[in-house]
Amino acid sequence: MATQQDEGGVLFAIAHELQQFRLLELPPEIVELIDAPNPPLLSIKSQPASPAATGDTAYAVLCTPDKSFQLRQVQTSNSVFITQSALDAHGNEIPVPVVRAIASCTATLELHLFTGSSLTYLNHALPIYDIIDGEVDAAGNGKSKAETFSHIPLSEGQCEVGWKELVAFEFMGSSYRPSPNTLSQVWKSVNSAALAEGYKLDSQFFTDDILKALDQEGYPGDLIIAMFRHLASDDQDTSGPWSCLDQTKTAAFVGQTLLAAKRRDADYLTADFLDTWKDHLPEKWRRAAELKTIDGAFILPSSTTIRAKFGVADSSTPKADSVSRKWHEKFGKTRKR
Amino acid sequence: MPLIPLHIRKPASTPTENPLPHLLHTPSGLAILELQGTIHFPTLTQNDAASTSSTKVGKLVFPLYNTDLNDPSDTKWMKRVYFYVGVNQRMTGECKKLGKPFAIIRRKEESGGDTAMGGIGDEDGAGRGTTEELEIVEVVRYKIVFSTRPEPVGGGVEEA
Repeated sequence: MATQQDEGGVLFAIAHELQQFRLLELPPEIVELIDAPNPPLLSIKSQPASPAATGDTAYAVLCTPDKSFQLRQVQTSNSVFITQSALDAHGNEIPVPVVRAIASCTATLELHLFTGSSLTYLNHALPIYDIIDGEVDAAGNGKSKAETFSHIPLSEGQCEVGWKELVAFEFMGSSYRPSPNTLSQVWKSVNSAALAEGYKLDSQFFTDDILKALDQEGYPGDLIIAMFRHLASDDQDTSGPWSCLDQTKTAAFVGQTLLAAKRRDADYLTADFLDTWKDHLPEKWRRAAELKTIDGAFILPSSTTIRAKFGVADSSTPKADSVSRKWHEKFGKTRKR
Repeated sequence: MPLIPLHIRKPASTPTENPLPHLLHTPSGLAILELQGTIHFPTLTQNDAASTSSTKVGKLVFPLYNTDLNDPSDTKWMKRVYFYVGVNQRMTGECKKLGKPFAIIRRKEESGGDTAMGGIGDEDGAGRGTTEELEIVEVVRYKIVFSTRPEPVGGGVEEA
């Protein structure tokens, strides 16, 4: 044995000043990203320490462009050294190659794929942009889209999906999500403008043309653009100056928004609803206004009435109601004086 | 809440000669060694601290590793590694391919001027509230692991 130790071998040394390193265990998909010729930007996000609605939220996540991974610290009972090959010189001796421990880790970090939806976070973070009787009711949060996303422990891609789903938009330095009421009204204006100007919404049109036509209405431009993106067919590139709406998607969206915009406790005659729905669609799309288009999004409390189904999508409605009631109270008070 | 960018450092030119078996080489020369227990070594004298930046504690021996005899694809040598600590203790271990590679991460040094390492740098960073940035300096796919306790070995071998 002794002879074996004598022959060759690699000198092992421990640096006097250890550096701070962390070890992060990489799942195969992240190794792939890192090994790619142009690795994407990775980032670590942590959630503000507030007791949010969900109990077991991650304190920190690692985000790729479209995925997020929860970071978990795992203590190790072994000594884990990070070593570096180096040349060690003692005084005037010839330097010899050594393996030098330059850091010691007592814990490693594990990554666990996190497939949460950003909807809950965005619903929580974004104030509602409501339009009641032509009056805008919205309290800005002073946060840009980028800033909003930075507070959500999910990847940019996951945030973007939720943002699009909610038709969220930026306006005057704040981020909002529109109420069903707002969406319904904006759509109505878009539809009338298209009719007046002779645009076909299901073939490509200049987004700017519609924006100009709606200039008088005073809607935030970004809201209209967000709506067009929301309604574009899935294979459509929505980054350019053109828009093109998906007929089926749009018809369903208009029907659902109409229902959701209706006060929850009010009866909506199914026949009335279908008529209004048809009137809100371009002439050629009217056939799409039938109940099966919005299958699953409604309930029929009686044989003649219809109501929006409670769900994630219309969770904004009760809030919108309370806001509007408050608004009326305010209005009433000022009157009395 | 800050978003902390995690940069990926592109491997620079190979630094110094790496005495480890080739399989354990990484572009930056970093590797991982895991062992049960801790290594104790004598406290430094003033003299030592001045002349060196590290303390030699032992020697790693790869008894089955022989580039002259074995094919590079032959990985049997990985099964046995000795770690002699001091002169009369030896640990037996092996090289393992990691199921999931480890990224070695550290706080990114600010570009433009060398920042002080260690304690001073830390205090500095906290005080100014600078934006923290991290970087992956290396991805390591193998580790040397000693999972058994050291055993005594006879014969004081003097290092020449």
